[in-house]
Amino acid sequence: MEPRNRALGEGAAADLRIERLRKTFGAVTAVDDVSIYVQHGEFVSLLGPSGCGKTTILRMIAGLIEPDSGAIVLAGEDITQRPVHRRNLGLVFQSYALFPHMSVFENVAFGLRRRPVAEDAIGRRVRAALDLVRLGAHTDRLPRQLSGGQQQRVALARAVVTEPRLLLLDEPLSNLDALLRDEMRVELKRLQEELRITTLFVTHDQAEALTLSDRIAVLSEGRLEQMGTPEAIYHSPATPFVAGFIGRSNLLDGIVVGQAEQGVRVRVGEGLELVAAASGPLRQGDRVQASLRHERIHLTEAPTPGMANSFPGRIVFRAFAGAVTQYVVQLAGGVELQVETPTAAGRLEREATVQVELAPEAVILLPAAVPAA
Amino acid sequence: MTRLLGHLRRTGLGLLSPSLLLLLLVFLIPVAIMVPLSFRPYLPGQGIGEGWTLANYTKLFTDAYYYEIVGRTIFLGLAVTLLTLVIGYPLAYFLARSRSRWRHWLTILVVFPLLLNLVVRTFGWMTLLANRGVINLALQDLGWIEQPIRLMFNFTGLLIGLTHIFLPFMVLVLIGVIQNIDRDLEDAAKVLGANWGTTFLKVTLPLSLPGIVSGSILVFVLSISALVTPRLLGGPTYKVMSTLIYDQFLQLLDWPAGSAMALMLTLIVLVLVFLSGVIARRFGMQGSVAQG
Repeated sequence: MEPRNRALGEGAAADLRIERLRKTFGAVTAVDDVSIYVQHGEFVSLLGPSGCGKTTILRMIAGLIEPDSGAIVLAGEDITQRPVHRRNLGLVFQSYALFPHMSVFENVAFGLRRRPVAEDAIGRRVRAALDLVRLGAHTDRLPRQLSGGQQQRVALARAVVTEPRLLLLDEPLSNLDALLRDEMRVELKRLQEELRITTLFVTHDQAEALTLSDRIAVLSEGRLEQMGTPEAIYHSPATPFVAGFIGRSNLLDGIVVGQAEQGVRVRVGEGLELVAAASGPLRQGDRVQASLRHERIHLTEAPTPGMANSFPGRIVFRAFAGAVTQYVVQLAGGVELQVETPTAAGRLEREATVQVELAPEAVILLPAAVPAA
Repeated sequence: MTRLLGHLRRTGLGLLSPSLLLLLLVFLIPVAIMVPLSFRPYLPGQGIGEGWTLANYTKLFTDAYYYEIVGRTIFLGLAVTLLTLVIGYPLAYFLARSRSRWRHWLTILVVFPLLLNLVVRTFGWMTLLANRGVINLALQDLGWIEQPIRLMFNFTGLLIGLTHIFLPFMVLVLIGVIQNIDRDLEDAAKVLGANWGTTFLKVTLPLSLPGIVSGSILVFVLSISALVTPRLLGGPTYKVMSTLIYDQFLQLLDWPAGSAMALMLTLIVLVLVFLSGVIARRFGMQGSVAQG
């Protein structure tokens, strides 16, 4: 198949390294010593709750905010001190920031007109970019005559038409309604793969980050908590924050009480000991936090032979949520676990007695949370 | 009748009608009295005569004394408007965009002159601008000038005084519009490769046009109809339309000529407001704020 992005060209993308970036606003440290490396052509998400510093990082890379210290290196070149308009980046704003007084064509052509590009080449490249986002028929309209999704596409076309070395996306999907968001998510990924452009995507939506990214950087309160592939972030969270933020987990405080055949034994409550497949050196008496994903806990009628973690429990809450059903199960000793099972696996009634089981690999041990000051 | 009622109900005009009626009474009736009055002849020593005449209007266009004053008034209005725009825009831009904690104090400083009585402010300018005023004495003491520069009772004096008085109006209108321009738009232009100047010319300025137009109309209308400042700073000899109208009514008792001039002034204002509306539509300035 003929590549559709012929007129846009390829290979302009570069790798990005940010080194020990810091930014404070008054007494608030917005970004605290963050270092991230993004490979050539890679799609990396900055994921975190609002106020975690992800947008500040993005704006510092764009040059819209000046960092207090640290370096931004694009394709081996330090651009920390370079003015915004000479960085050659593409940025899609959460508000789209389309120029309301210009037609769709002029919006997309704006960046090209700031560069030494011939008029006929401008026309060709603008049309190619608009075709790429499937908006070829709307060139003469004003932004306000377009729907939210269409405005989003124009913003994307405007950001990529100049063949930027790096594409920055600041929560571009959060102003769309749910159905359109899923559709645009697919479009965005397709576009990024087609252009093979290095992309940094800021979001607070873990589903977006997990589905779109090659790697995810999870941020909390200005610090980088963990960086890795979506699978690594999901299955092996490195900190209690990541475990709590990605997916849904039961977090239980516990103490290592001894070794077991498949790992270590952790006491998490009165008369309740879990076997965890331990990673890293843990000694008896170490304080830990055990993270149990809702969907990795199984509810059965009778204990499965050989299962390391199997406890009797009682269902105290049940909620139907379509494909899955959510339960809260109370174990002996009062510990309550939230469990999610496929609805197709059968229906359990409230007050029913069940057996709660989970594999040692499903118990993730994290360093104990620092007590709140 | 039912259609009229329906229309009133739909547009909400019915709710406004008590106040509309009051406004019509207070504003339209004086004008309605002035229109026939302006076509009456004036008999010196006797007042308003019988019969009808166009003399009061033809005088405005044929008598050099009168049309000089009409031209001067319009030119003064345009000059004051331009000057308040040139001084006011950077000020308004700074106040709208600054994140300084002094911002509110600076805004109050801009509005502060409005809290002072107009006559007091104008007398202030007189002590500064007079031949033996602060400015001339200072320049003479410095040895920069031999004779005092005439800063009062002429165009310069009116320009300075009126610009000072109407600057806050321009700034306040512009602040409102500039504040409503999404900052992301300017950032987007810069990221796309536009330097500060291009960003301003291609994005900020076009999007602040509605404010520039309405601020300019406001200042122009206020300047050409201002009375107190031209009277004090222009003195008895340097006249503009408003002071001339005042003299016609209260000193010469030539009510017909005064009415004709007053209606002329109103006409100039209406034409300019209409024209700026046409210009505004031509530039497609329906809304300046992006939908998001």
